[in-house]
Amino acid sequence: MQGFERLAATLCFGWAVIFLLVQYMAARGAAVKDYSTPAGSPLRGMIYAFTTGMLPAHKETVRKHPVKFLIGVTMHGGALFSILVALLLIAFPGMGSIYPPVTIPFLAVCAACGVYLFIRRVFSANLRAMSNFDDYFAAVATAGFIAAAALHEYGTIGTPAFLLISSGLFLYLPLGKLRHALFFFVARADYGRRLGYRGVYPADNRGA
Amino acid sequence: MGAAWATGACTPQTIGGHSVSPESKSPRDIHSCMDAAKEALKKAAHSLGAYHLNACVRCGLCGETCHIYIADPVPENLPGVKASKVVSFYRRYHTLSGQLLPSLVGARDITPDALDELVETVFGRCTGCGRCGINCSIGLDVGAVMRIGRKIVSAAGKTPPSLCAVVGNQLADGNQMSISPDEVRKTADWICEDLRAEMADDSVTIPVDEHGRRILYLVNPREIKFFPLSLAAAAGVFHAAGESWTVASKFFDVTNYGLFAGDDESAAHITRNVLEEAERLGVEEVILSECGHGYRSFRWEGPNWTAAKYSRPVRSILELMVQYLETHRIKADRTKNLARVTLHDPCNLVRWGGLIEAQRRILRVAVSDFVEMTPNKEQNYCCGGGGGMLSMSEYGERRIASGKIKADQIRATGAKIVATPCHNCADQLIELNKRYKLGVEILSVVELLYNALDRSKAQSPSGPA
Repeated sequence: MQGFERLAATLCFGWAVIFLLVQYMAARGAAVKDYSTPAGSPLRGMIYAFTTGMLPAHKETVRKHPVKFLIGVTMHGGALFSILVALLLIAFPGMGSIYPPVTIPFLAVCAACGVYLFIRRVFSANLRAMSNFDDYFAAVATAGFIAAAALHEYGTIGTPAFLLISSGLFLYLPLGKLRHALFFFVARADYGRRLGYRGVYPADNRGA
Repeated sequence: MGAAWATGACTPQTIGGHSVSPESKSPRDIHSCMDAAKEALKKAAHSLGAYHLNACVRCGLCGETCHIYIADPVPENLPGVKASKVVSFYRRYHTLSGQLLPSLVGARDITPDALDELVETVFGRCTGCGRCGINCSIGLDVGAVMRIGRKIVSAAGKTPPSLCAVVGNQLADGNQMSISPDEVRKTADWICEDLRAEMADDSVTIPVDEHGRRILYLVNPREIKFFPLSLAAAAGVFHAAGESWTVASKFFDVTNYGLFAGDDESAAHITRNVLEEAERLGVEEVILSECGHGYRSFRWEGPNWTAAKYSRPVRSILELMVQYLETHRIKADRTKNLARVTLHDPCNLVRWGGLIEAQRRILRVAVSDFVEMTPNKEQNYCCGGGGGMLSMSEYGERRIASGKIKADQIRATGAKIVATPCHNCADQLIELNKRYKLGVEILSVVELLYNALDRSKAQSPSGPA
């Protein structure tokens, strides 16, 4: 029971991890030495980039678009939670729902945020100008995946079906836009490190 | 094919030594240009910049961070749209999905038409100021992505000719305005005469090509041609501090347009020329005049372009002036600058260079009424003249329009003087002052410090070390 689905989900997750790492290594290239003399701390820059630097006071995009930002964060929270559910189901075959009174409304809100982001992409001229099929597909796939997790918690979708849906997402993850699941962290760390090295980060300026 | 398509101007293929002039560039056919562009992309795809090519989620929140988008809010000016044009090439050649299903993932071939569009995007719609990157919800270094775009264009020989000509001048004559060594000496002589009269001190000197001095002072050619008061002010402060210094008559240029052109090889060449000049003159330290991109180029990018640590320190004159003030080698009297002063932060100095406080420390002691713009420091708006925009006349109207937000910032401070530690920015601010009727005066930080000098504290100048 669930043997095939678990195997498929495991293999697809492995594929996602390995292919993301391959892309990371390819992007990283040879070790890069910075010959300039540092003016600050790369580590402090990285820490700032992942902490204070993300706060509304320090980031204009967040300050000016708090609702959109919150919706984005909520959707991503739901996506991460859904991935966690899938991994738990792979690891613990007998596991059922986690805690439906909390998880179902949470995932439903997250899925709704995902749907909103898709609709916004369809109707915003600015977003359409920078979007391609992959962007729309990623939005639908993610919202669908979160909805599937919610339905699994509710009991509408069985574990085998959810694992198959998860397999599809894992298969797609490193191929398109969703690879930012890794590169968000890598890019932000790199940016923080470089600006920390030059003494730009951590910034004490609130800019407003 | 063999049809001439691009000049190949200021590309590594055409440098070939110290004496390249823009006229010597040979036409290149389309195939060689496309191959060179792909090669540049390949290099970028295996560098740290590739992290950022993979990270954009096209959320579209970046629009209002960009002064060009604010002035003209069309999708083409959105940082995300601009970045996606560069990223589309990366996807096509360096991602599996882009190779197999290009139309589904927004992957595009490098073609002559696509490159022409890229030129307009990376040179005409972006100054590389980095404000979008610092505010990106993801943490994407959009400036790095746009510079990859410039590298691709540069490799294909499609850099705007006006920008290319400046790089050509730097490679051929040692400075962007092709000023001859003789003209440098003559200008230094007459500035020195004026300064002696003004300071009532016949011992004031502006040494040129003097060996064994402590400092080689690099200046912006604009200081020689159009803004001699800047050089005079620096000379006056050096004299007051008793500094041992010299300028060079050939490789004196603090600017490096290889940065703007996306031409690292030329940029390295220009850097090496200055380092060799410093070596030849036997100075202990290189001091950079007030120049945003000059600081970024020589302080941060230069060692990596030349793949070597510098053998002597390179600092901005702002840092040196702070040192003079802190060690009491000079003293400033802020009552000599009574008008309200605000400060424009050059992007390359502050956001890319990390030199944020030195200019503020100087102004706090040199002027009576210093007010910050809002926003400021690493959040400051680009003046619109960055990224080589000032040398690309084809984008002149857009450049002035994009400076509207800067003009609004200045007006809101109520300042009568705008200080900026960058001659590029100063040029743009002078134009904004006229266009938007701001009624302000644009000065360098060192000019304000010189105005505030307490001459009674002047040291006797030291000779060669």
